[in-house]
Amino acid sequence: MVAVDIIFAPIFLSALVYFLTRGAQHLTKYIALGWFVVLFFISLNWLNQIMHPENYAFAPEVFEYIKATGFLPLGEFLSVPAFGFSLTLQIDALSVAMLLLTAALLILVVFTSWEEKNQAAYFSLLILFSGPIFGVFMTTNVLWFFMFWELTLVPMLFLVGYWGAEGVEVKKVFNIEIKLPSRVYAAIKFFLYTHVFAMFMFVGFFLLFKQTGYWDFTLIKEAALATPALIWWLMFLGFAAKLPVFPFHTWLPDAHVQAPSSISVLLAGVLLKMGAYGLIRFTVELMPATTSKFAMWMVILGLATTFFAGFLAIYERHIKKMVAYSSISHMGLVVVAIATMTYDGLSAALYEMIGHALVISPLFLIAGWLHHKTHTWYMDEMGGIMKYAPYASAVFIIAGMAALGLPGTMGFIGELTIIISAVKAFGWWIAVIALAGMVSAGYIIWSIRRALHAEPSEIVKKADFHMSFPEKFALAIFTFLIVYFGVNPQPIFDIANKAFSFFGGM
Amino acid sequence: MSFIILIAAGLIVPIFYRSNIFIAKMIALIAFILAAYFIYQGNSLNSVFPYFVLDKATQLMEFALLATLAAVSLALTGFERPLIAQMLFVAGVSLGLLETNNFFLYVVLFEVVAIISYILVANIRNFFNAEGAIKAFIAGAVASGIILLGFALFSFTTDSFNYAQMNVSGKFTLIAVAIMLAGIFYKLTIVPMHGWAADAYSQVNHAAAAILSGVIKSVVLVATFKAFYKFMVAYPVATVLIFSFFAILTMTLANFMALFQKRVSKILAYSSIAHSGYALIPFAAAASVYSYAGVLYYAIAYIFMQTSVFLILNDLRREAGVKYLHDLKGMGKRAPLHSLFFTIQIFSLAGIPLLAGFLAKAVAFYAGVDAGLWTVVLVAALNSALAVAYYAWIIKHLYFDEAKFNSVVKMSAGSLIGQLILLAGTIYFGIVAADVINSTVSF
Repeated sequence: MVAVDIIFAPIFLSALVYFLTRGAQHLTKYIALGWFVVLFFISLNWLNQIMHPENYAFAPEVFEYIKATGFLPLGEFLSVPAFGFSLTLQIDALSVAMLLLTAALLILVVFTSWEEKNQAAYFSLLILFSGPIFGVFMTTNVLWFFMFWELTLVPMLFLVGYWGAEGVEVKKVFNIEIKLPSRVYAAIKFFLYTHVFAMFMFVGFFLLFKQTGYWDFTLIKEAALATPALIWWLMFLGFAAKLPVFPFHTWLPDAHVQAPSSISVLLAGVLLKMGAYGLIRFTVELMPATTSKFAMWMVILGLATTFFAGFLAIYERHIKKMVAYSSISHMGLVVVAIATMTYDGLSAALYEMIGHALVISPLFLIAGWLHHKTHTWYMDEMGGIMKYAPYASAVFIIAGMAALGLPGTMGFIGELTIIISAVKAFGWWIAVIALAGMVSAGYIIWSIRRALHAEPSEIVKKADFHMSFPEKFALAIFTFLIVYFGVNPQPIFDIANKAFSFFGGM
Repeated sequence: MSFIILIAAGLIVPIFYRSNIFIAKMIALIAFILAAYFIYQGNSLNSVFPYFVLDKATQLMEFALLATLAAVSLALTGFERPLIAQMLFVAGVSLGLLETNNFFLYVVLFEVVAIISYILVANIRNFFNAEGAIKAFIAGAVASGIILLGFALFSFTTDSFNYAQMNVSGKFTLIAVAIMLAGIFYKLTIVPMHGWAADAYSQVNHAAAAILSGVIKSVVLVATFKAFYKFMVAYPVATVLIFSFFAILTMTLANFMALFQKRVSKILAYSSIAHSGYALIPFAAAASVYSYAGVLYYAIAYIFMQTSVFLILNDLRREAGVKYLHDLKGMGKRAPLHSLFFTIQIFSLAGIPLLAGFLAKAVAFYAGVDAGLWTVVLVAALNSALAVAYYAWIIKHLYFDEAKFNSVVKMSAGSLIGQLILLAGTIYFGIVAADVINSTVSF
C-alpha cells in the first residue's frame, strides 16, 4: 500500500497542506522537505530490495519474479477486468534510479527555493508534483503512465506561470496582437506543446493495446504487433518533444528561461528524463526489432540536436538560454546512446541522464541567481562576477567544466562511455560526437570569460551578491555529487548493470 | 416510483419557493435522494409501466443525473427559484428517456424534454436572455419537425418500435434515420446545427444553461445511442462516415471559434459544442464492444464538469459581475474557492488525467481505435490538446493576472456543497473506471 499512497497522497493532500499552512507560510517548506526525504528513503529501500533481493524475506514466487524479470512488484490497484486495465505498480533498477534522482532533486530544490515568495502555494505545488512524477516511473501500465505523464504538467504550468521571471512578450496571432508576460507565454507554450505531442503517444498506446490485448508493457510482445512502425513513430514523437529532440525543442528555451531557477532544475533534471526513460522503456525495451530499424533516425536526430543546440548556445548572449541550449545539447547525446541499443550504450545513457541532471542544475541555479541579483540576463552586461561572488562563480566553473567533459567530473565519464559505445555500435564515423565536447567547451569557456572574469561592469559593481545558506548548501551538494560520481562512477553502473542485464550485462 | 416522486415533488415545490426557498430546496433534495434510492432498489418506471428497462448502465447514468441536479438545486438563489421545480420535471422525464426501450416513447419523451428546456430558458430578465431563449426555442421547434418527419418515414417500415425487434432493413430506413439524426443533431449541437447553442448557452441565465448544456445534452446522448444502436450496427459504413465526419467538423470548428471569444460563457458554450464532437466518436465506433462504455462514460463525465463550470460562472456573475475574460483577472486571489473548483473542472474539460474528463475521453477514443478509426481518433486527440489553449487562457486570467478590485467573493454554503458533490463525481470517475465499464459489459 505504501507504493500507491506515495503517488496519490500528495495529489490529494497538497490542497489541504496549502489551506492549512496559508496562515503560517514558512511551515510549508518543512512539510515539503520532510515528505521528500521520506520519498528518498523509501526509494533507497526499494533500490536495496532490487539490488539484493536475497537479503529480504520475499515469498518464493515474488523472489522468482524479481529474479526473472528484474521487477519488484508493488501491487495492483483499481482493476477493471473488462478493460484489462489496472494500476500496476512495479519497479526495476532503471525506475528506481529515476526515483532516487527525482527525490534527491526535490530535496535540493526545497533548499534552493528557501526564500521563494508565496511559499504555501509554491511548496504545495511541489508536493503535488511529487505524486505523478513518482507514478510515471513506478507504473508499468501504459495508460496510467500516460495519465501521470500528463498530470506532471499541471503543477509545472502554475509554477512557471506564476513564479516565473518578469518581462513582456508581444505575439501576433491571426493579426490580433496579444501582449502578455513572458512567463505566462512560456508556461502556456510548454503546456500546449508537450500536451499536443503527448497525444501522438496516446494514440500509439491505444494501438498497442488494441493489437496485443495488454496495457501492461511487461506483458506486451513485439511480435504480436500488426503495425509496429506506426506505433513506434507515434510514441517516438511524444518522447521526442519531451526530451527534446531537434525539430521539437522550441518550447524548452522559453520554459526553462522563464521558470524560476529551482523549477528549471526540475524541468531539466526530471521532466526531460521522463522523455529519455520513455524512450528506453517503450522503444528499446518494448520494441527492439522496430527500434533497430529506425535507430539511424534516432542517431541522426540526436546528432542534429547536439550540434544545433550547441551552436545556438555559442551564439547566445542570454545566460540562462545558453544553459538551456547546453541542456538540449547533452540530451542529444543521450538519444545517440539509447539508439545504440547495447548494454554499454544504455548504461552510458543512464549515467549521462543522471550526470546531466546534476551538472545542469547548478548552472541553471546560478544563472537564475545572477539574474536575480544583477537584473540583467545578458552575459556581456555582467563581467567580473568572480570578484564579487566567488562561491557561486566557483560552483559555476566546476559545473561548467563538468558540462564540457573535464576528467574527474561526471561529464567526462558520461561523454566517454557514450562515444565508446556509439563507436562500437555504429563504426568510426560516429566519433564526430567527440566534437560536441569541443562545442560545449566553446560556449562554456566563453561564458565564463564574459560573465565571470572580464572587467566588472557598473551593474555588477552595484549589485548585492548575498546568497542564503540553504542555497549555498544545495550548490555544495551538487558540486560534491558531480565530483564524487565523476571519480567513483561504479554505483551508477551497478544500477545500470541490473537495469540492462537482459542486453548482456556483466 | 422514482418518476412519481420526482413529478409529485415538482408539483409541490412551487407552493413553497416564493415564501421559503430553503423548504423548496429540501423538498427537492429529499425527492432526488428518494428517487435515487428507488432506482437503487430497481424500482423506477420499469415497475409501473411497460416499455421501460432498468439496467446497470442506466442506473449509473441516473445516479449521476440526480446527483448533478441535486447539486444545482442547492446552488440556486433569487430569481432562479422556478428552476427547482423545472429540474424535478427534467429529472423525471430524463429517467423515462434513459430507461425506455421503445422508439416511439423515445421520440415522445425527447419532445417532452425539449419542451421543458424551453420553459427552463424562458426565465427572461433582459434582452440577451430573450435572444438566447428565442433561438433555443426556434431551433428546437425546427428540430422537432425534422425528427417527426424522419420518425414518420421510419414508422412505415417497421412493425415494432421495441429497440430489439425494430425492423432496420426497410427501404426507407437509412434515409429516415438520417433525417431523424439531423433533428437530433440540433439538440446535440453538432456543426452545422450548432448556431443556436453558441448564443443560447451563453445568453440565457447560466444556471439554466448548466442544465441545458450539461444535463439535458448528456441524457440525450446516452438515450440516442441506445435508440440508434441497432441502426448503427446494421449500416456500419454509413455510421462510420456520418459520425466521423460530423465529429471532426464539430470539434475542429468549435475549438477554433472558442479561441476568439471574449465572453467566458461563450467560450464555455463553444467548448460544450466541441465536446459533442468528441462524444460522437464512440457513435462512429459502434462496431467496437467499448462504444456504449465510451458514450456512457462521456455522458457521466460531461454532466459533472459542464454543469459545474456554468454554475460557478453563475455565482461569479451574480457576486462579482463576471461577464468577459478580463473580469476574471485575479479571481484566484479574490475568490479562491470558486477559482479552485473552476480550475479543476476546466482541467477535466481539457482532458487532464485523474479527472473524469480524461478517462471519458480515453474510453471513448479507445472505442474509436478499437473500431479501426485511429486516424479520426488522432485528429480528435490533437483537437482536444489544442483546446487546452483556451482553457489555459481562462486559467491565466484567474491566477496569473493582477486583480482589478480587491473585494473578496464569498461562496455560499449551498453552492459549496453543490460544487463538492460535482467535484466528487469528477474525481471519482476520473480514478475509478471500473463502475462504468463493468456496467456496460452486458450491452
